[in-house]
Amino acid sequence: MAHQAHAYHMVDPSPWPLTGAISALLMTSGLATWWHYKTTTLLFLGTTLLLLTMFQWWRDIIRESTFQGHHSTPVQKGLRYGMVLFITSEVFFFIGFFWAFYHSSLAPAIELGGLWPPTGITPLDPFEVPLLNTAVLLASGVTVTWAHHTIMEGARKPALQSLTLTVLLGLYFTALQAMEYYEAPFTLADGVYGCTFFVATGFHGLHVIIGTTFLMVCLLRHTHYHFTSNHHFGFEAGAWYWHFVDVVWLFLYISIYWWGS
Amino acid sequence: MAARLLLRSAFRAATTCLYLLCDSDVCLRLALFCVTSGIPTDEEQATGLEKVILKATKEGKDPYSMLKPKEYAGTKADPHLVPSVTNKRIVGCEEDNTAVIWFWLHEGEAQRCPSCGSHYKLVPHELPH
Repeated sequence: MAHQAHAYHMVDPSPWPLTGAISALLMTSGLATWWHYKTTTLLFLGTTLLLLTMFQWWRDIIRESTFQGHHSTPVQKGLRYGMVLFITSEVFFFIGFFWAFYHSSLAPAIELGGLWPPTGITPLDPFEVPLLNTAVLLASGVTVTWAHHTIMEGARKPALQSLTLTVLLGLYFTALQAMEYYEAPFTLADGVYGCTFFVATGFHGLHVIIGTTFLMVCLLRHTHYHFTSNHHFGFEAGAWYWHFVDVVWLFLYISIYWWGS
Repeated sequence: MAARLLLRSAFRAATTCLYLLCDSDVCLRLALFCVTSGIPTDEEQATGLEKVILKATKEGKDPYSMLKPKEYAGTKADPHLVPSVTNKRIVGCEEDNTAVIWFWLHEGEAQRCPSCGSHYKLVPHELPH
């Protein structure tokens, strides 16, 4: 243990911030070369490096916390602030897409026929699969809260069950949404309706996949006894992220699927 | 004969039921165990710095200065006690000043803030390693 008179964690030097930055460069330039020169080499390299960076960086954090005990209370408090600020930044990210949607839909241009949905667009029925998706995500919010309480109470098996159920519901949402995307009567290229719909719901779907992966990692860690009944911030961060994803869906459903139909 | 066979199977069934009833108590306790335990506590699993801090907190100590400093009157009889791991520490006095007055506090006799005169005394501070 380092000789320190404070309870904070002075991290050891690590290569992952550098590999993360390199992967960001490769992915952005890779997107450009893919779209302009039809080659995916840079993009593939960048994505692989990103996945390696994430795996190794977060593995190191788990080593530092669970196995080395560096995450004292003040350190945990800092991590909590960090997660809250990150989720806040993601909220603003989605605000942009909702702004775009309302900009185009509140005063529909004459080129669209002066109405919303635009002429020629048959929107999805909000009371079919989208309503099921809403129920699935709301249920998953309940199960993840259930999982949290079982962890705090020290009950291993119910925690395994509720967390598994949450992951399954997340996967079910993704499968349903993928099917909806395939079956939709309109595409990304269908004017501003298609653009706002698929960009907003598409980024949301990506966040669902990220959230589900986060919870799967939590499930794996739980099976390996990483969490204690008092200290399980990794799980709490995952649960917060999952609730955020759920709330974004509710806004999407009300605005784009229901009001926008 | 048939009646005797029937009686024998009925007797066997009855006794198995009884055994099951006895086992159900064990089953209930096993189920309760699964439902209320299995996840370790910090007591059992904390390691490294987290464990050191946990133990110290239980003993009422604060080796890593995580809590607010204790309040003192700042008089000659009740000086501010300033813990230090070496023989001097910087002090920032906010007592009766409009600005923070910074000065080095050395071990030995209590020193006074050059602006408001509050008394400060360096005390040695033990680290857990």
